[in-house]
Amino acid sequence: MRMTRSYLLLILLALGSQSHAHTPLFDCFDNSDGTLTCEGGFSDGASAEGILIRVVDAQGKVLQQGELDARGSVKFDRPSGEFSVVFSAGDDHSITILGDDIV
Amino acid sequence: MKIKSLFVGMLLALASIQASAHFIVMYTPQTAINRVTDDIPMNIVFTHAFAGGPTMSMGKPQRFYYSKRQGVGTPSEEVDLMPYLEEIQWQTDGGNVSAWEANIPRNVMRSVGDYQIVVEPEPYLESGEGLYIQQFAKVMINVGGVPGNWLETLGLPAEIEALNKPYANWTGAVFRGIVLSDGIPVPYTQVEVEYLNHPLDVENRRFQEQGLINAPHPSLEAQVILTNEAGEFSFAMPKAGWWGFAALSVGPQREHNGMPLSQDAILWVQVTDLPE
Repeated sequence: MRMTRSYLLLILLALGSQSHAHTPLFDCFDNSDGTLTCEGGFSDGASAEGILIRVVDAQGKVLQQGELDARGSVKFDRPSGEFSVVFSAGDDHSITILGDDIV
Repeated sequence: MKIKSLFVGMLLALASIQASAHFIVMYTPQTAINRVTDDIPMNIVFTHAFAGGPTMSMGKPQRFYYSKRQGVGTPSEEVDLMPYLEEIQWQTDGGNVSAWEANIPRNVMRSVGDYQIVVEPEPYLESGEGLYIQQFAKVMINVGGVPGNWLETLGLPAEIEALNKPYANWTGAVFRGIVLSDGIPVPYTQVEVEYLNHPLDVENRRFQEQGLINAPHPSLEAQVILTNEAGEFSFAMPKAGWWGFAALSVGPQREHNGMPLSQDAILWVQVTDLPE
């Protein structure tokens, strides 16, 4: 009986870990030295390490790209023209920040 | 046996050296910040939270810092905030007293995540009660919604471990925590809960004269609850604003300069009304 309960608990925990609210969160700021830092994570505290971040121009051409590191962070040179930064972690997990909003 | 230990715990709680209703207030306008666009202001004032006074003169803190963990699986790091701390004069009915303020530069606190901000003060001599008070006070700020180390303890002599995010509570939410003495849960100890009833008038460096609540009885001003046998407590917060939790005389050091010392743990929780 106790064993059955333990298995049930484990199953519930396993299911639970997959059904957390998992909202992506992403922002960038200007380092005032010609570079940008972009940081990402998830609302449930899950790691965003390895997620691809792209810096694109107004036509969508990729200017720079890099992956978030263990600190959920990546650094880019600030492009001179119009640009945006895109966090892509699957179809429902994409966030775009316009370059003008990065201060 | 359980009843006996409960009584012993309660007796110890009552017998310990305590100076009630004192709170180191750590005030900043907003603890749940979407994006840091400017320096983050903080006022540190030693007062009686519900009554808005008497306010005590506060010496320069021994330490003022934040603890932050960036990312997942990385260690938390401490950042010294003492360079941004300035002594100010706080207006009270009985004259000015020393308090502290800091404008924490944006570039020191703009990364997403949790910031556990801590003040470790010098012991304060409460001459009227013949004891020293040393309150280890914490407030937490989150930037961007990415959770960080809000549930980590910092190894303070007296500390309240949060079981809810202190910056993310709707009005009516139940706040839960654990009282720790040098990291060990403290059963059946008193926790005082006070509403910051007189909002800070930061510009004029005083508390607003008019309180937000007129309590009909003293027991509703400084509310007292006890931790359970695991050192846990819970409290439903019925009004938006700031709620202070103080675990009194739980730290291990009991004497300072030959006089009794009460090492207290303070945690501030900001409560937000549901939008219309």
